[in-house]
Amino acid sequence: MIEVVGLTKRFGSTLAVDDLSFSVEPGRITGFLGPNGAGKSTTMRAILGLVRPTAGGTSVLGVQYRELQEPVRRVGVLLETFDAHPGRSGRNHLRVLAVAGGIPKSRVDEVLSLVDLGAAGRRRVKGYSLGMRQRLGLAAALLGDPEVLVLDEPANGLDPQGIRWLRDFLRSLAAEGRTILISSHVLSEVAQTVDDVVIIHRGRLITHAAMSEVEARAAASTMVRSPTADRLRAVLAEQGIDVTSVADGRLAVVAPPERVGELAAANGIVLHELSVERASLEEVFLELTGDPGERGA
Amino acid sequence: MTRLFAAELVKLRTLRSTWGFLLVALLFGGLVAAGNIGGSSDSDRLDPELQFRIVLDAAFPGSILALLLGIILVTNEFRHGTIARTLLASPRRPRFVAVKLFTGGVTGALLMAAMIVVIAVTAVIWLGILDVPLEAGEAADATWRALLVATLAGVLGAGVGGAVHSQVGALVGALLWMFVLEPICWVILGLLDLDGVSDYLPAAALGGTVDTSDEGLSWARAVAVALAWTGVAAVLAVLRTSRRDIT
Repeated sequence: MIEVVGLTKRFGSTLAVDDLSFSVEPGRITGFLGPNGAGKSTTMRAILGLVRPTAGGTSVLGVQYRELQEPVRRVGVLLETFDAHPGRSGRNHLRVLAVAGGIPKSRVDEVLSLVDLGAAGRRRVKGYSLGMRQRLGLAAALLGDPEVLVLDEPANGLDPQGIRWLRDFLRSLAAEGRTILISSHVLSEVAQTVDDVVIIHRGRLITHAAMSEVEARAAASTMVRSPTADRLRAVLAEQGIDVTSVADGRLAVVAPPERVGELAAANGIVLHELSVERASLEEVFLELTGDPGERGA
Repeated sequence: MTRLFAAELVKLRTLRSTWGFLLVALLFGGLVAAGNIGGSSDSDRLDPELQFRIVLDAAFPGSILALLLGIILVTNEFRHGTIARTLLASPRRPRFVAVKLFTGGVTGALLMAAMIVVIAVTAVIWLGILDVPLEAGEAADATWRALLVATLAGVLGAGVGGAVHSQVGALVGALLWMFVLEPICWVILGLLDLDGVSDYLPAAALGGTVDTSDEGLSWARAVAVALAWTGVAAVLAVLRTSRRDIT
């Protein structure tokens, strides 16, 4: 279990994390989401004892990270920044970690095979592609067969097969009762993986909910197109239904398609299109984390 | 602590730069031996003092290499971003610094030992050919002095690295201090009639641990002052490293 209680972190005049509290339960995968610069990495590093909180605190398995016995065996970590010496081979990088954590050398080859780096393990890390570096980071996280995983942007650089493998693998680990926290700035990227989401923006908690609840927020609207759009709009308005004009002469109607079709038929209005459109998860995410124009600037 | 030290040794063993340092140390060892024996007259070669001096002459380059390697074994972590992974395995930072200081001392001693082996092999063969009797006692006395100064330099280097973190800053700063700033201090202190104070500066104190002349600090005092400087560097390393956010 991971707990963050009233965490605040200030770097000079910049407030990176602001009174943030949430918990990550065992047996579940929790997505830690927010736009770039929201404070995700700072929070994760505070959980791992790499960043000293200005106020508040964090705990992993009931204690502060630095108090953990055998931390390599208990908490697997993937950081967003690459943390292997470029002049060392991937295998030797893992050997260093294995020796420090009291992990048998045989486990090094196991995890290299697991992340499909067996053949590249003896090559120096500076020759690795982004995807290979990410796989090496995952191998390092899995080295101690830990009960807690903290993964910062784990899908970065992975190809679609790699992302699918990661998703299935994390699900199997969660099914074994492990605690998993993964960060991302793309909600749709983790939607199929996570059970819960913690969404932050500008260092503050926006929402902490089950993924199913977030998906439910992607409310449906009915899209309709008619050669007599103005008449249809008037009929719908008479019924107190909200209508918005969108591109290509289409109307977005806040009502079920059955109701829109019945009203059109009753008034003899020809329809060329009647469909249901759901807001994407990204739209929900953008809505939760503020105005999209600001991020696009 | 044992595991972390073992991990440090694996780190050193698996980097080419470490072997580069060893190669340079071996070359220096060979050069010191060849320069001393080849540059001495026949009568000087018969003097047991030569065998003592050969090893002590290796102490200076050996301790400089030990200092630089000590700096690098800490600052490499910050330069290449491996510090985060290291601290995840060793989250108590004073312990991390202690392991680095210990590793710095051990690697310094090992570098010097490698140099002494080259010197010994060269001297045994060369002086053997010239039928010069070997005085093990003289060489042994010089050997432990050289090992001590290299150990202290390695610890000091790790401490400086832990206090500065920037590799370029620590390496340039250490060399600048050893070869420019401290000699300038000696001159200034001499002009102020405070020559005795010069002996307490870091490079002078390290030199005092291998100095057999009657000038300057006594051997015991030189060792104590050198230990004090390594202690200062160690404390600064703990304070700096403990307070730093690894972002």
